[in-house]
Amino acid sequence: MANISSDAGLSLALHKHYAHNQRWGFMWALWTAILWGAWYVPGTALWSEFPYSEIAVDQQSMRLTATAVMTWIHAITVFLFLLLWNTVLGKVKDYGRTIVRFKSISKWYALASLCGGPLAIFGSYMAMGFIGPVFAAISSLFYPVIGAIIARLWYKEKISKRAAIGMCIIIFGGMIIYGPGLFGEMNASNPNAWLGYLGGIMSAIGWGTEGAVAARAMDVSDPDVGIHCRFSFEILFWGMLILPALALFTDLPIAELVINTVTHSKAMLWILLAAACHAYCYTAFYKSFSLIGVGRGEAIGNLYAVFALIFIAAFTLQLPEWYFVLGLIFTILGSFVMFSESAESIANLRDVDQ
Amino acid sequence: MKMHQKGYLLTTLSKSGSLWDYELTRKALQEYSETGAFREKTLNIALDELSAAGLIHRIEEKLEADGKQSKLRFKYKLSDFGVSRMVDTGLLLP
Repeated sequence: MANISSDAGLSLALHKHYAHNQRWGFMWALWTAILWGAWYVPGTALWSEFPYSEIAVDQQSMRLTATAVMTWIHAITVFLFLLLWNTVLGKVKDYGRTIVRFKSISKWYALASLCGGPLAIFGSYMAMGFIGPVFAAISSLFYPVIGAIIARLWYKEKISKRAAIGMCIIIFGGMIIYGPGLFGEMNASNPNAWLGYLGGIMSAIGWGTEGAVAARAMDVSDPDVGIHCRFSFEILFWGMLILPALALFTDLPIAELVINTVTHSKAMLWILLAAACHAYCYTAFYKSFSLIGVGRGEAIGNLYAVFALIFIAAFTLQLPEWYFVLGLIFTILGSFVMFSESAESIANLRDVDQ
Repeated sequence: MKMHQKGYLLTTLSKSGSLWDYELTRKALQEYSETGAFREKTLNIALDELSAAGLIHRIEEKLEADGKQSKLRFKYKLSDFGVSRMVDTGLLLP
């Protein structure tokens, strides 16, 4: 009798342990979505401040240059917020120990930063610039599918039927939210539309691949440290390669844009706010991968589509269209379908030897 | 320079065969001269992550009395996948 009750106690404790990890995994993913949505407010407001407000919408090369400059300054600020985070958690030494192992570990974070930075962000801006922001938002919604497929093929991440259905419902909800706006944006006579489509594909591949690559590195390293490494490399890519190359080989005013950004307090204030959101959004993103996997983490992260509109409505007092509610219902439904998987099934994320 | 903490947990397991979580965390706390419940929890989360990723396996579990509450303990062993990932990432020689 004593054995039966102790066995039952052990089973209950095991279930509680797995459920606790599952809850934390989904909670981190939800924080990703909330902070990603919140990021759109300062991220958009920055374009209304000098020096960015002076750049006309049709000045494509200047807008892309401005994006590169603001992304670099933004990445430096994110790095500082992450330094604060890891100092509080006592992980700064571990950051040093991880980043120096470039050949075996941190090179994956460098690749993740290339995928999530230049590839995805530039792709997204190309989609925005050559087709429109609604198309950019919709194409980004597909990144969890890319992430889940790569994670499945590369390191056998388990994607249950329920997780796949939940992911599809969330993407469908996102398409309902943004889809109707697409009709006003598509223009068959636009000769440069292919650049927009290419950009859309780049953003979905970029963010999807980033998750899969980062999760590979997090097999043997800490997620808080991993995200810090990822932004260290992003700073180097923009600051040592892309911006110097643009300054050397073009006549674009890189130095002027950098100086004008850092010397204007309003622009810097928006960058600080955006970086705070982005730093902890990405931290939550990476932490969710370790507990619930790349596919689920990215799919719940897709709820940013909902939170972005809620935050923008709260700050601009412009209510979204009626179909937002329909999209909201689908995204919430998709999240619940995913969360309804048994905690025990998520305790082992990969189809490897048991 | 010391090894990063997840790397340390993996190499310690590969040397020892199998270990209980409290044995692993005790060794890690000693290695990094750290103390306290927060640091211990951080290491236990790292073990949960390694286990979810399939690098280590839980081969035994038990409930241990800890004051009024009981604490769940796991015994871990490196998996074949964990060995291959350690080789990939330079933590173990092929």
